[in-house]
Amino acid sequence: MAALTIDNVKKSFGTTQVLKGINIAIEKGEFLVLIGPSGCGKSTMMNSIAGLETVTEGRILIGGVDVTHASPKDRDIAMVFQSYALYPNMTVRGNISFGLEVRKVAKDERERQVAKVAKLLQIEHLLDRKPAQLSGGQRQRVAMGRAIAREPKIYLFDEPLSNLDAKLRVEMRAEIKKLHQRLGTTIVYVTHDQVEAMTLADRIAVMKDGALQQLDTPQHIYDRPANLFVAGFMGSPPMNFIKVKIESSQVLKIEVKDQYYQLPLMTDQLDAQYIGREVILGIRSEMITEPLAHKQALPYVKTLSLTAIMTEAMGPDTMVLAEFAGIELNCRVNPNYKVVLNQPCEFMFDMSKAVFFDIETKQIIEQVS
Amino acid sequence: MANRRPFTDILADNLPKLILAPSFLIVMICFYGYILWTVALSFTKSRMLPKWEFVGFDQYVKLLNNDRWGVASENLVVFGGLFILICLTIGITLAILLDQKIRQEGMLRTIYLYPMAISFIVTGTAWKWLLNPSIGIQNIVRDWGYTDFTFDWLVNSEMVVFCLVIAAVWQSSGFVMALFLAGLRGVDQEMIKAAQLDGASLPTIYRRIILPSLKPVFFSAFVILSHIAIKSFDLVTALTGGGPGYSSDFTSNFMYAHAFTRSQMGLGAASGVMMLGGVLAILIPYLYSELRNKGAK
Amino acid sequence: MQRTSILEKLLRLGLYLILLIMAFIYLAPLLVMVLNSLKDVEEIRSGNLLALPQNPSFAAWSKAWGSACTGSTCEGIAPFFINSFKIVIPAVIISTLLGALNGYVLAMWRFKGSELFFALLLFGCFIPFQVVLLPMAMTLGWLGLASSASGLILVHVIYGMAFTTLFFRNYYVGLPKELISAAKIDGAGFFLIFWRIVLPLSPPIIVVTVIWQFTQIWNDFLFGVVFSGADNLPVTVALNNLVNTSLGGKEYNVDMAAALLAALPTIIVYVFAGKYFVRGLSAGAVKGA
Repeated sequence: MAALTIDNVKKSFGTTQVLKGINIAIEKGEFLVLIGPSGCGKSTMMNSIAGLETVTEGRILIGGVDVTHASPKDRDIAMVFQSYALYPNMTVRGNISFGLEVRKVAKDERERQVAKVAKLLQIEHLLDRKPAQLSGGQRQRVAMGRAIAREPKIYLFDEPLSNLDAKLRVEMRAEIKKLHQRLGTTIVYVTHDQVEAMTLADRIAVMKDGALQQLDTPQHIYDRPANLFVAGFMGSPPMNFIKVKIESSQVLKIEVKDQYYQLPLMTDQLDAQYIGREVILGIRSEMITEPLAHKQALPYVKTLSLTAIMTEAMGPDTMVLAEFAGIELNCRVNPNYKVVLNQPCEFMFDMSKAVFFDIETKQIIEQVS
Repeated sequence: MANRRPFTDILADNLPKLILAPSFLIVMICFYGYILWTVALSFTKSRMLPKWEFVGFDQYVKLLNNDRWGVASENLVVFGGLFILICLTIGITLAILLDQKIRQEGMLRTIYLYPMAISFIVTGTAWKWLLNPSIGIQNIVRDWGYTDFTFDWLVNSEMVVFCLVIAAVWQSSGFVMALFLAGLRGVDQEMIKAAQLDGASLPTIYRRIILPSLKPVFFSAFVILSHIAIKSFDLVTALTGGGPGYSSDFTSNFMYAHAFTRSQMGLGAASGVMMLGGVLAILIPYLYSELRNKGAK
Repeated sequence: MQRTSILEKLLRLGLYLILLIMAFIYLAPLLVMVLNSLKDVEEIRSGNLLALPQNPSFAAWSKAWGSACTGSTCEGIAPFFINSFKIVIPAVIISTLLGALNGYVLAMWRFKGSELFFALLLFGCFIPFQVVLLPMAMTLGWLGLASSASGLILVHVIYGMAFTTLFFRNYYVGLPKELISAAKIDGAGFFLIFWRIVLPLSPPIIVVTVIWQFTQIWNDFLFGVVFSGADNLPVTVALNNLVNTSLGGKEYNVDMAAALLAALPTIIVYVFAGKYFVRGLSAGAVKGA
């Protein structure tokens, strides 16, 4: 039985349709991340799961129970907000135990829970302080403590790390992951930061304009994005896109004005019907590198000459923005590889992980199985 | 699975509406309902008690031909115009002066603002003495040796309105100052720094940057002041009683006199409706321009 | 640099001078009233309003309080003082409570039509009360509340509710909405959220509202003179009667003492709590639409 089922949920505000039929099912203990650009509907989806918004059509089931019309307090969920939403007039202890108080849990049981949660999150020394006396990271912990104390079926996180500075964000991300592993809770997590999504999720649901674009594990979404949008959205720097023509089952041609270049194809990358047609090639920056001696002989590798426009030293590698025939590409090279700006330079293309998208439908072209 | 919601939940859902319901009723009846009632009454022949005999615009014609109403309306316009203008001027001037990092700012602010805490009746009575020729300012100045000094506006039917202006400005200008001071404090400091770097002098900065950004405060102050002006009843009653004769009568006093003491309900109602019209004439353009600005954003 | 600093100093001096003169003008009437309430009538009539009292005495004050004539009775303004409190205290409490609940609903539990209601309410804040006096008088008559203290309290609550709702709503709109969402998820309902979360955050606006309402209702004259009866006149009406009753010559000192007594409560409130009120103003309690 799925821990959470979102069954063809649609939501409209007046005449604007914000959710266009979402179908998601997650298992107990799963960490699902909802990600997408602003306005994609992920916050509305989150609020609908919580019961803070009603749905226009469809059902929501938690633990097999239809809660579509239930109020938030009857859904057995807890939520951690972007702004933490701690009650300013109560102490940390008061904040954590409020939900239990409302549910008329006995005093000693409440105190037990608070102590347990405080120990887990290492906030025991903060219990008698008020939210205004806490730092951002501490407030974050208290907000999580408030959710954990209720031991709900599902935890909802609404962009909880957005208000933290970069370093703290990385720390808290690890904390959340460790907590998930320790407690084995079911989590739905909304974010717009794809690094968070990739590192935290068991599965990612990518949304755009109210529709689900792809629901899959992080690695699959990275390697086999369902469409152009997902391909360009996930991964940093974004995937390179080039319009190409399929010459044969082994060769593709990039043609710009009167220049053309060829790149190799692997045998099962494309269906035969695409021969002679134009498609969009997607290739990630780590697949365009400096020429590597040990790869020279591979059939799916080719070296081309590009002109470097800009470099960014990242530490472990150097990002190079290079162009040929007016097309700009993100490439990743070893920091020691000598790149001279505005001069032609050799770059090696590894086509083993290349993906192709249909020009009209923008969908990924499936591999021949 | 349970798709129907328990009754307690439905009740809980509608609780906000239930809470608002009594106030909603009150507003509809005691605000808008009463206005309609008064409007209807203004079309009748009512005298001491309401008498639902409709006579069309008779009362309004009577009103326009009524000498006292003419004086009252003129007084209101003159008073209103001067009152608003002077309050705005004094208010913004004091605010600018106080904004200059004065050491005793808190105490001065308290002094300028305290008249607002006093009833208009007390204000009227106090100024009645100060403006009284035989014991007030005229007397004081004459005592100092200027035996020809006259300041008998209070008993002069041409000048008595200005006495009302003086008292009202004394009462309300502090409030306008407080509004502007809050507005000045809210001006974006970075904008001012940029202007200073550009070489603008202090008066220029005030004129070209700060004052224009206070436009919303001007509008709020204008609306509040005009509201006070139109409602002025207490001040007139205490300071002049409408006199000499009825030369310092205001529309509000006219209405009260005719509706309650002179048993002319219909006429009184008509005058009340005219007062409402005056308020609307100011309020509606203001709201319209506010909404338009919000829409443009 | 020396030259500009002399100019600056002069300007600074001029600035302080202007402010001081203005302060004197604002204080003058109050000063005049206090000074002359301590004199006897002959001294006022023959002398100068600004002169210091020769033999300061509180005789006028005690007469104003306990034995001055306000129309047909001569009991001073003391009984009317009490009347005003009897009217003001319930009216302030009820109108503030109503305003808080209404503001809470309008800010945090919006529903279709609630914004329209708010607009109607806002508009209602601006109507000149003259236009509702007659029907209100009729209604009080039907309800059997004409010329009664309860009637006057009702009127003040009804027309005060528009302002108090405005104040609370504008304040609550500034509270983070996620606080309410969190409370809903924690399981709290409408009243629990109000009691445990919203109300504890309300002291600033409660102070502003109470001060405003107390001042408005204590200082009111129009509703008092129209709706109260002879045995529950508020102190403003009594003061007006006292000052305009001149049996046997005007007793200016008594009149001034009476006026000061009538103004005392609101001035005291202002002196002690005024700064909170100004803070509330700056925070936008009177921003309007």
